[in-house]
Amino acid sequence: MRALVLVAALALALPGTGRAQATQSADSATTRYGCLACHADKRAAFEEGVHSERGIQCHDCHGGNPASRSLPAAHGGKFTGSPGKVAVVALCGSCHSDPNQMRQYGLPTGIVAEFRTSRHGMLLLQQQNADAPTCTSCHDAHTILRPDDARSTVYPTNITSTCAPCHENKALMDKYGLPTDQVRQFEQSAHGLALKDQNFAAPTCLGCHGSHSALPPKVTEITSVCSRCHVGVGNAFQRGPHGQAARSGKLAGCLACHGNHDTERVPEAQIAATCHKCHEPDSEAVALGGRIQADVVQASGDLQAAAKAIEDVTRAGLQTADLQFRLETARTAYLQITEVQHDLDLERLDDLTRSVRSISRDLRGAAEASAEHKWEHKLWLVPVWFLALAWVSMSVLVIRSYERKGP
Amino acid sequence: MRRLWQGAVQWLSQLGADIRDSTDAGLLGVARFFGLLYGPIDTSLPIDQALNKAWRYRLPAHTSWRHALGGITHLLFLVLVVTGVMLAVYYRPSAQEAFPSIQHIVSGVTLGWLVRDLHVWSASLLVLAALAHMAQVFFEAGYKPPRETTWLVGVVLLFVVLAFGATGYLLAWDQSAYWTVTEALAALERMPLLGGFLAGLLRADPIVSGATLSRFFAAHVIVLPWLSLAALGFHFAMVRRHGVAPPLTPVDPARERRQFFPNHLLRASMLGVLVLALAITLAILSPRPVGVAAHPGELPDVLISSWIVVDVSRALAFYLGSWGFALFTLLGLALALLPLFDRGPARDLKQRPVAAAIGLTFFLSFLALWIVGRTLRTIPPDASVANPPAAEASVPAVPAATDTSAQGEPR
Repeated sequence: MRALVLVAALALALPGTGRAQATQSADSATTRYGCLACHADKRAAFEEGVHSERGIQCHDCHGGNPASRSLPAAHGGKFTGSPGKVAVVALCGSCHSDPNQMRQYGLPTGIVAEFRTSRHGMLLLQQQNADAPTCTSCHDAHTILRPDDARSTVYPTNITSTCAPCHENKALMDKYGLPTDQVRQFEQSAHGLALKDQNFAAPTCLGCHGSHSALPPKVTEITSVCSRCHVGVGNAFQRGPHGQAARSGKLAGCLACHGNHDTERVPEAQIAATCHKCHEPDSEAVALGGRIQADVVQASGDLQAAAKAIEDVTRAGLQTADLQFRLETARTAYLQITEVQHDLDLERLDDLTRSVRSISRDLRGAAEASAEHKWEHKLWLVPVWFLALAWVSMSVLVIRSYERKGP
Repeated sequence: MRRLWQGAVQWLSQLGADIRDSTDAGLLGVARFFGLLYGPIDTSLPIDQALNKAWRYRLPAHTSWRHALGGITHLLFLVLVVTGVMLAVYYRPSAQEAFPSIQHIVSGVTLGWLVRDLHVWSASLLVLAALAHMAQVFFEAGYKPPRETTWLVGVVLLFVVLAFGATGYLLAWDQSAYWTVTEALAALERMPLLGGFLAGLLRADPIVSGATLSRFFAAHVIVLPWLSLAALGFHFAMVRRHGVAPPLTPVDPARERRQFFPNHLLRASMLGVLVLALAITLAILSPRPVGVAAHPGELPDVLISSWIVVDVSRALAFYLGSWGFALFTLLGLALALLPLFDRGPARDLKQRPVAAAIGLTFFLSFLALWIVGRTLRTIPPDASVANPPAAEASVPAVPAATDTSAQGEPR
């Protein structure tokens, strides 16, 4: 049969022959590999992924003798069968903790050490608790795909569904007093929505909890975790009175206002209302919150009006490079407002709001001027129609007199 | 001082005589070629007498306002030539500069806005005038022998006009123009047989780009003007050779034939001035929006058309699909080739049902499609490209259930 195929390939397309032979030899290599004689269902897993590409085969992890075709001999030697959860960690670690083997791939070798510090690792390795996951619980046992392969279980958009099978299992989580609604909350959060829009700068579960060293951040660590991405806001927060409270553990850092898994932007109009969570309704702090809210609402409205004004000027046919430059200045000021509102420095906030307002007023002025310019155009209709009608009536008169007189 | 004045007057009058005496009357043929003079030119006379003689030419007795449609079309064409040259002075045909240069024309150049909108509106009015002219000739059976060539060249001119509009449309290089052309080329690409080849030839790139703009600009300001000049000259020559079609009902032979100058010329000028005023009014009251610069990576919310042919094409593509588009084109082609198969002496509409059916269907559906197309707001069909199916669609939903037994058994 194979010979027939070969002849057919030769007859059909000579340049294709080399390819046909290569496929054929690869076929026979996997066919000759002993394990697959019985474990044919693992063939697909065996042929795909980075391990397969590097020539790592069944017996490298499971032991046994692939050269042998008879059962007792094939499962002889250092055959381990399907290793248990604890054994898996040691098995993976035997290569992945070895700098000499990982150096060529640039992979970190501290994974097992990290895993040991995680809640998962503590349960599994110290308490031999089979509820805890091992390496192959999150990474497929046989088909190890690169993390940037969209089919990988650790591809950003697949992370939640990798964590969910355990963390949404109510019976399992009740044993450890953990909630099961994190994924649902995350999907509706600012982070979850950004991730859904393919924005891979957004954190998944791992972004805040770590991957191999997964643990919930401590109360005093929260601000640092968020600041890894939200640098400016984090610095401002640390400068202000709330930062001090967070460092001493009295305030749950950023989460106090923004929530954890359901992280949300506090809408501009809700800033003061958020202060009520901790402060008395008629306290000075709530009053300050009201003034911050007023500034932010004002600046955001001004910024939108400025962008709209530029659009109007563009539609009026004017070039807007200078105006765009000013808008960029206003945007920068607004960006600073979003930071400064976290250190409660009202004076600076007022300054920035004023500068956004002043730029916005200028741009709106430019838009109005360009609209007025258009109105003048209509005045041209008067001379145009005056001349046209004058010409027509003159012509009528001339033609009449001419035709009365005869040519 | 007085002597200087007298000397200047004498010299000027002599200069006039010099020019008159040394200029060949054949030069009037140029004016005739451009359709500015109608009667025969006696080249044996000095140029001023030849002009006088040509002016005394008397038009056929049945000439009436309905014959002015061709002249109006020609006037609008001349308006387009003049405004087009003015625009070309400031327009810069490159993807980076096209839109800013139009902003400059509209806001920086004195009366640039008027010239641009006059160019835009004359283009739409030209199509209307040309089709009205065509309909008038069709209903009076003006395409029958011996005037087939006049009709066929007229059809060529119509296609030249359509090509002018189609190529000029992209030059605005704003979102609307960019995506309308993208949509139009995609429609052309889907047309059977030659569609893909033609679209590739016009687009010159996988997407509409600076290369496309260059091709469209070259066609708009170099190729098509020369083509239209040749076709127009031929069209006028044919009109002079065979005259306008005789009336359907004979007119009184004793009726006075109007003289070209000044009667006819004054009447024509009245109409011309009114058409110009109308075009300027439309340009002032309904300017084409400058919009926002073309952005190949960003789809507009809606597409707004500003040219009659785009309205019709979009209505066709949207409601009848690519085959509808092809069929309508075939209908237009059948109308164009009418003089090749409808050659009988019958001139009344009832006596030539096939021709009447084709003509009426074409003209009426063109008007209907225009009205429908003007209200049409679509997003380009390529819009689906902006949101490809998410990558995770191909990922198995949940990884296989985790093995919870701490110690597996060897298999």
